[in-house]
Amino acid sequence: MKNCYEPFPMHIDRVVIETTDATLKSFELTFDRKEDREEFFSKYNPGQFCQLSIFGKGEAPIGIASAAWEGDFVRFTVQKMGKFTTAIHAMHAGDPIGMRGPLGNGFPLDEWKGMNLLVIGGGCAFSTLYAMTKHILHPSHRADYAEITALYGTRNSGLCLYKPVIEEWHNRSDIEVHQAIDIAEDDWKYHVGFVPAVLEEMAPKPKNTVAVLCGPPVMTRFTLPILTKLGFPPERIFTSLEKRMKCGVGHCGRCNIGHKYVCKDGPVFTLKELQELPNEI
Amino acid sequence: MQTKWISKKDFQKLVSKWVKKHAVYAPVHNGKELAFQAVEKPEQIVLDGYLNTRYPAKSLFLPQSEVLMSYDGILHSVENAEKEKIILGVRSCDVRAMRLLDHALIDDQNPDEYWKRKRESAIILTLGCNEPEETCFCTAVGGSPFSTNESDGLLIDMGDAYCIYLLTEKGKVLFKDLPDTDEAQLKSVKKMTKQVEKDMPALLPKLELHDALMASFETDFWKDVSQSCLGCGVCTFLCPSCFCFDIVDETVRKERVRNWDTCMFRTYSLEASGHNPRPTKAERTRQRVMHKFAYWVDLIDEIGCTGCGRCVKYCPVNIDIREIAAAALQQDFEGMKK
Repeated sequence: MKNCYEPFPMHIDRVVIETTDATLKSFELTFDRKEDREEFFSKYNPGQFCQLSIFGKGEAPIGIASAAWEGDFVRFTVQKMGKFTTAIHAMHAGDPIGMRGPLGNGFPLDEWKGMNLLVIGGGCAFSTLYAMTKHILHPSHRADYAEITALYGTRNSGLCLYKPVIEEWHNRSDIEVHQAIDIAEDDWKYHVGFVPAVLEEMAPKPKNTVAVLCGPPVMTRFTLPILTKLGFPPERIFTSLEKRMKCGVGHCGRCNIGHKYVCKDGPVFTLKELQELPNEI
Repeated sequence: MQTKWISKKDFQKLVSKWVKKHAVYAPVHNGKELAFQAVEKPEQIVLDGYLNTRYPAKSLFLPQSEVLMSYDGILHSVENAEKEKIILGVRSCDVRAMRLLDHALIDDQNPDEYWKRKRESAIILTLGCNEPEETCFCTAVGGSPFSTNESDGLLIDMGDAYCIYLLTEKGKVLFKDLPDTDEAQLKSVKKMTKQVEKDMPALLPKLELHDALMASFETDFWKDVSQSCLGCGVCTFLCPSCFCFDIVDETVRKERVRNWDTCMFRTYSLEASGHNPRPTKAERTRQRVMHKFAYWVDLIDEIGCTGCGRCVKYCPVNIDIREIAAAALQQDFEGMKK
């Protein structure tokens, strides 16, 4: 029986403490069975998520934070928040864990070919954007897209995820990276201010450009009007949503907005699609 | 459509034969209530003088609690062999709900195998409703008390006999040696069913209601209609077309189990951050009603309520989904305070 609720048996291969306050950790999981690994990578598209599974603690939907070319592992960056995430934060390399996925639609990367990408991330919501940007920066994909600009904001420099890689991006010529923190710090070389204000200052051109936005609700609420003001039409603004979920495949009912399920029809939606749905985010 | 005729006495004999060969489920008085149960003797079966079981027939396919997996270091799917079973005496509203649940659970790329296997192994025989209750409104939401859709056969009570509409090959096999209905009999069946349908509520204006509800979304209408709601969830637990579930781990039994859940509970949509998209009973009542009367219409152009009336009948504070629909059609939401 092909059971959509049965997790793949996995092991934690590596744990990275991402932030100075240790509320965010990345977990790199490897597959116990070759056939599961092949199935996963035959389907995976950046922007998708998985249900991580710890027996006794249940499951939690977490975005995938790695690109397929990085290796035979799948990375998840998890903020310590509720029961499940507290449990996984106590786990170590070598521990067994379950995983179901990839789930959801992911970013429509084929649709975006030939266009400029404006990537806007805030806090821990940057994880799937990181996977997507990494995927696109790979030599075999980079030529499919025009200019790439990224803006990543965190409350302070200690809360920035994936620091070594983002440092490296600053030195690359095929991506323009902007970083922002809320309050000035010594030795900070980049922007100071909230993401919407920094974006307005950057004033990216909307022509032939797709904006992809993932952040906390407050950032999203104030950034969307700026994008609209800059001339981005709602069908070229993409965002990824979160909801409480159980099944992850559109059966258990709980993550709907109107007639759409965030797990199955999302998590990636255009602003235009969201404007046509009831306001229940 | 082929129709057969069988006296009630002969029908009981036929059921006795079925019971020997198949698992037969039918409405039975279990001491507390009428419920679908496995039948040993045909005398147990209650097909007269009642309408619906308290729990809808969907409970046989999506049980209130169901073991999905067992755990021994990793999770293994539990695969129960599903024997072919005959489910006798299901009312049209419950039958239609099962097709809605097929759409929700198996009509996509990740079919729910637990539901699918039980569905595939079942032969369903509908029983027409000669005397619908005051709470019945299947005709208002696109159904009929004598629906010939979605099941394997329809039984219509004609006093001392049943008229049987054979709807699928599986249904034909069960009644193969019976005489065909003659013209006079068929005429009397049609006369009776027509009269019953005529006395039932009129069809709701589906699209008009959909648009009214969409316009109501951010208004105080929902605060008003949910004022007396206790949040007990009985309306959803007894609903034949509700399918929401929770997945929980039973650590002592070492099992991962799914249990019915309800959008009427606060914790249903509560996120770990503390954010809740449906924080009060107003949003939760809105979700229950709009799922049935707006979101299903968006999905398959049908109302997702089957008019069984259980939510009306069992609500402890008499909230009536028919009244909510009627009120929504009356309201001028554009002029209402948001």
